[in-house]
Amino acid sequence: MSFDFITYGKPPISPRERKLSRVILFFEDVVKVPLFGCQHCGECILSSTAFICSQRCPKRMRNGPCGGTGEGGTCEVYPERKCVWYRIYYRSKLLHRMSLLLPIKKIHNWNLEGTSAWLNVFKKRIEAPIWFVRHDQQKVKDFISGDTQRKN
Amino acid sequence: MTLKEKIDSNHFIVCGEIGPPKSCDGDVIREKSKYFKGVVDAVDITDNQTALVRLSSIASAKILLEEGVEPIMQMTCRDRNRIAMQSDLLGAALGIRNVLCLTDDQPEAKGVFDLDSTQLIATADRMNSGFLLSNQEMKKAPEFLIGAAANPFAEPFEMRVIRLFKKVNSGARFIQTQPVFNLEIFTRWMEKIVEMGLHEKCAILPGIMPVKSEKALLHMKKEVPGVKINDEYIDRMKAAHDPKEEGIKIAVEMIHTLRKIKGVRGIHLMPVMWESITPVIVKEAGLGNPTSS
Repeated sequence: MSFDFITYGKPPISPRERKLSRVILFFEDVVKVPLFGCQHCGECILSSTAFICSQRCPKRMRNGPCGGTGEGGTCEVYPERKCVWYRIYYRSKLLHRMSLLLPIKKIHNWNLEGTSAWLNVFKKRIEAPIWFVRHDQQKVKDFISGDTQRKN
Repeated sequence: MTLKEKIDSNHFIVCGEIGPPKSCDGDVIREKSKYFKGVVDAVDITDNQTALVRLSSIASAKILLEEGVEPIMQMTCRDRNRIAMQSDLLGAALGIRNVLCLTDDQPEAKGVFDLDSTQLIATADRMNSGFLLSNQEMKKAPEFLIGAAANPFAEPFEMRVIRLFKKVNSGARFIQTQPVFNLEIFTRWMEKIVEMGLHEKCAILPGIMPVKSEKALLHMKKEVPGVKINDEYIDRMKAAHDPKEEGIKIAVEMIHTLRKIKGVRGIHLMPVMWESITPVIVKEAGLGNPTSS
């Protein structure tokens, strides 16, 4: 029995693949660091958080904001920053990607830290990004009523 | 009757809260537990709240067990990684039946945050079903009643409902909220929850915080992030002759109002630094005396 809420990181990463991963990570960084402030978790969930990196949160919350979001969406730990989840929520709403916020995000595998998420998708260690979401409102309704328990 | 049975039946649940001392003096907890024994159904034991070192929550919960009070052990993701967390849960399972899973705030120390609260709830739920996170089967599975916290007052509002939905989906059976000092938002939040049918899957226990003075309220408003306090209550505390009396009055009124809201299954009393007031409030609110053993 395997659980669907933890990333096992299989197949295991070979030393050769780690080298390849570093090469790919270089190109990945060119895109992801300036655009999204990538934190190299190796387990990218950008597509389900409306293309805002949730790992920029000081608590690295993967499943939504903590209870400390202040007035106007300020971060609890660094009051000069905006809560990333506050931004994720409003952008998900704008882009009609609310249904992607509902499933429980997997527990992070720290073995994948600092590896290339693109390679990990290719090797099927992590799930592929979801580019387009159709009928978002209907999907939200279905998910809440439990018709389609789709985990992400 | 245990808390689990009470949640399954239609009992109105009253929870208390004790903060362990900043020393190795167990008598402080024994002393405080007297105010709760026979008065409330279960008592929360906080786990290094506000990131200050305190007596371990497992040890404190054990003292409560010895005193005949049912503990709810809080467990935060701030201090432990998944290995320590599962091991602590297994240790706690020797006597403690209730855990409240939190993420908690960040101190100057290195925060771990290996899991977040939702994932911790899911982990505890898997452990209930007899498996560890590593997929190994346990010979004897714990039987936790898993709780979670919610803050309806932080922004954005709708995300708070989604977050509760996720927590309930991962296995939370009761929800304790931040202290309610803004009924308008709380009612709106409750309506959403009833609309989604979540109130049937979990028991929602809104927080009640009796305050001693206007200063305490102002301090909360300023220092505690994500708490909304209506000016109405601050004004009332300011105008009162006897602020303590007024604090009790506000708490009792709040209990009466919350009780009428659909979906509310109990309350969670948070008499921070004022544990002795619990029996008074429970009595004045007419909550009877629950059989806590």
